[in-house]
Amino acid sequence: MKFFSETYDGMNSAWIYDSAVRDTPGRVVRDLIRARELLLDLVWKDLRARYRYAVMGFLWAVVEPLLFMALLAVVFSFILGDRAALTGSGSRPYAIQLLCGLIFWQYFSAAVSSATLSLVEARHLVKKVRFPREVIPLAACLVPLVNLAIGFALLGVTHLLLGGRLSAGFLAIPVVFGLELLLTLGLALWFSCGHAIFRDVGNMVAVGLMFGFYASPVIYPAELVSRATELPAWLAALYWANPMAGLLTAYRNLLFEGSPGDVRMLIWPAVCAVLVFISGLAVFRKSAGTIADSL
Amino acid sequence: MSTPVIEVHHLVKEFPARRGARDLRGRGGLGDWLRGQKTGRFRALDDVSFTVSPGESLGIIGRNGSGKSTLLSLIAGVTRPTSGRVIVRGRVASLLELGAGFHPILTGRENVYLNAGLLGMRHRETDAVLDEILRFADIGDFIDQPVETYSSGMFVRLGFAVAAHTNPDIFLVDEVLAVGDEAFQRKCRWKIGELREQGKTIVFVSHDLGLVHALCDRVVLLDGGRLVQRDTPQETITWYLRQVGNESGVHVFRAGRTEAVQCEGRISLFRDGREITAPAGLGCSVVSLGQYHAGSQADWKVQDRHETGCVVRGRFPRLPVSLWWTEQIDETGRFHWRVELECERACALDQVNLALSVPAAYTRWMYGDFSGTFPEIQPSDTRWTLVLSPEMRSNRAAALPDDSASLPPLLFEAVPLWPHVGLAWYNAEYLAQSRVLQASVNFMALAEQLEAGRHPLVELVIDPTLRAEDASWQIRSDRTVRSGRMRARFEHGGVRLFFDDEELTAYLNGYAAMLIEHLWADSHTLQWQEIRSEGEGFAIEGISRRFPFRQLWRLWPEQDGIRFEIDLETDTALQAEEYQVSLVLRPEYDSWRTDAESGRFAPFQPEDTMWKHQNRTYPSGNMLAAWGGGLPQVAFMLQDNSPPMRPTAINTSALEKARVLQFLRTGDGGRLVFGPGRHCLFSGLIRVEATGDLPVGSFSGESDER
Repeated sequence: MKFFSETYDGMNSAWIYDSAVRDTPGRVVRDLIRARELLLDLVWKDLRARYRYAVMGFLWAVVEPLLFMALLAVVFSFILGDRAALTGSGSRPYAIQLLCGLIFWQYFSAAVSSATLSLVEARHLVKKVRFPREVIPLAACLVPLVNLAIGFALLGVTHLLLGGRLSAGFLAIPVVFGLELLLTLGLALWFSCGHAIFRDVGNMVAVGLMFGFYASPVIYPAELVSRATELPAWLAALYWANPMAGLLTAYRNLLFEGSPGDVRMLIWPAVCAVLVFISGLAVFRKSAGTIADSL
Repeated sequence: MSTPVIEVHHLVKEFPARRGARDLRGRGGLGDWLRGQKTGRFRALDDVSFTVSPGESLGIIGRNGSGKSTLLSLIAGVTRPTSGRVIVRGRVASLLELGAGFHPILTGRENVYLNAGLLGMRHRETDAVLDEILRFADIGDFIDQPVETYSSGMFVRLGFAVAAHTNPDIFLVDEVLAVGDEAFQRKCRWKIGELREQGKTIVFVSHDLGLVHALCDRVVLLDGGRLVQRDTPQETITWYLRQVGNESGVHVFRAGRTEAVQCEGRISLFRDGREITAPAGLGCSVVSLGQYHAGSQADWKVQDRHETGCVVRGRFPRLPVSLWWTEQIDETGRFHWRVELECERACALDQVNLALSVPAAYTRWMYGDFSGTFPEIQPSDTRWTLVLSPEMRSNRAAALPDDSASLPPLLFEAVPLWPHVGLAWYNAEYLAQSRVLQASVNFMALAEQLEAGRHPLVELVIDPTLRAEDASWQIRSDRTVRSGRMRARFEHGGVRLFFDDEELTAYLNGYAAMLIEHLWADSHTLQWQEIRSEGEGFAIEGISRRFPFRQLWRLWPEQDGIRFEIDLETDTALQAEEYQVSLVLRPEYDSWRTDAESGRFAPFQPEDTMWKHQNRTYPSGNMLAAWGGGLPQVAFMLQDNSPPMRPTAINTSALEKARVLQFLRTGDGGRLVFGPGRHCLFSGLIRVEATGDLPVGSFSGESDER
């Protein structure tokens, strides 16, 4: 198994590395297939490292979103409840709405922030060994999938417990999540190499994610934004330019209505995700060759 | 010629200049980029080109910051060149940093898979070599423990084991062998040697020039990003050593035709520009509580430097001790190396070992009275093998070169400044291809810890100025007496006689024997003590293991010969039946003479199983002589202060085949009684003259055929 700009020379049955041959984004799939075991090893390493010495182990992945959800539910339904009119209709309990937005945002936030720092944190590897650099931010994006999966199961269970019904739409959620994953990976690629070159990027991402938490329909339903009459039109447009806004709305609609609602709402996030992913791949590949120098 | 496995063409690598941590913006500031500020660029490699053929091992040496590691990382494909091209044909394993991919929390086994994966192995490929890896790493049950519980040695062992077993075609090795204990380092070297024998290509970066020399077919030197020299490994290494001559741990000095390079805990010696030490040079190690601390781990600083010598100090990082070396080349070209140990506080040390490595082209060894040929160094030799038992005590040793090697003979003399110093000859391991004279200073006998302060240990003198013929005399000069062209040398309780370089004695040489209680107490069987110089001669005492007496032998030169005296010391009354002092000569001697008669030695007959007296009468006398066979004439004469003795000429048995000139003393009525105290047993003179110089008729007579 060899990586990167290598060709197999059947005549001499030897792998050849030639620095003059450029890595093109088109080769990334091939490289990643070759490096799949490494990718999984890195993910496994991260998970082991995270939970190894915790007494409750993976349980924390369940407890954490539950506690967070409980906290937010208490704050927003009981303390701010009247004023914010968040509770919505009886078919959409606030806690479920909250959990639905929260798990997908948490995934996005955790993946992007850890992937941004991933290359710099793995510099001892990157500077010493040649392997497809993509596996580092990719592994960082895959690790929080575990939390998401647990959260998703939790979502289904709580939804049923609170009298909700699971429709076929619930099963369509992973399809929409595909868009979110694409977007996450694209940003991870952008920011990880960006952070390696300009260390300001890490701070910018942290601020941006905090900003995004409130600028996306996580703790409130998107309908509140639509209904807000004082909101200037340009600000509303800016709000909806955030692809996570459309995605989080779609998750909720799928959960409660069984349909994504206005499909046009998903067009912009989809375009965004694809563009970000492709450009991220290209930029990452371009800088990967000498990224070790910046670490 | 086969296709090169590594091709490097006009390689240039530039880095953005590091700004350091002067301000909070740090490195790679976005602000600078936005303002369009160009930071300067640092050129690490500048137009470097070379190729490496399959199976070749290439060493890269150079100072810190000369671009070695950059070059290695470009070959490894970790980063791309600014311009130029690198082509690598084959699978690469880089040992750039052992255990780089290890995660502290994962178990050893999990890390093996992860690290092997980074080196390009699939899980099933790793499965296949897992047993071998575990065997090599030798960490037992720890394999299923998190690696953060490992000692640094285990960590490195496992890292090396993984890298070495990924079965690549090309190995990139960067300074990895500077870690781990001595045994592990040997194992690594051995493994690398094995990989080399298997035809793997190895690119090797190290400060350990000895290792580079031992492992590499070719050595290149990087200086300021340029490849400045490509030549034989030895010359490149020598060039490098001179180049770094002014750094803190380095000093080059010379006197006459001898030159020495002191470099970070290692001394290399040159004679007429030719290196006479092996690449490992002269070095020290300290053993404390069973742990081995190589001198190369210490931090070396030159304290005082001048044209013909220097004083250096090496502080050990993990021990409260320093070594002080005072090095000097005297005007004759001999190298003096004085080693002192400084303890910052009282500490428990076992040993300080001084290793003097010389090339394998030195094929013969000498050690005190003994000499021999070094055994061939076999590929299976992974450690040093003792050539000579250290039980034998001598302060002098020599290494003589193979006739075809243009190396000077080397004479070593140890002047102990500490009570327990021993010398021993070793063959080094296969890869080092060298002979090692080790001087061990032993502290094991100390009941208590070594006190704080400075302790002189030993001074070693290395003399490369002798001719081969003189070396063997020089090594025994403390036990050799010279008068004119004749020399007498004490050896194993006997005296050997030489005229120029021709030996006249044979078999038992010159010796003495006493008959006590029907047993012959032979001087060869006495327990001989340290030799003492006395003027131009020497004295040595031999203690009988069986009877309560000692013999004191003294030899010294006089105008016309060598005086030989034997005194007897006894604490209690000693009764002997008789005693004799003999010179056992080569069988070519055909004629003999005493005061009273002369004759020819009878030819040896196969049935002669006993010694046979040649003279027929036994009057007292004081003269014996032998001549003939084209050999110089030997005269053996009793002096006035000797008790009266009877001269006899004797043939040994046909098997022993030697001629004997013997003075014999028998007691009155078969009894000789020595009271407690000192008695003169014998006082004689040995004279040798070339046959041509013989005054005719002075002691040669007609053969008496009665």
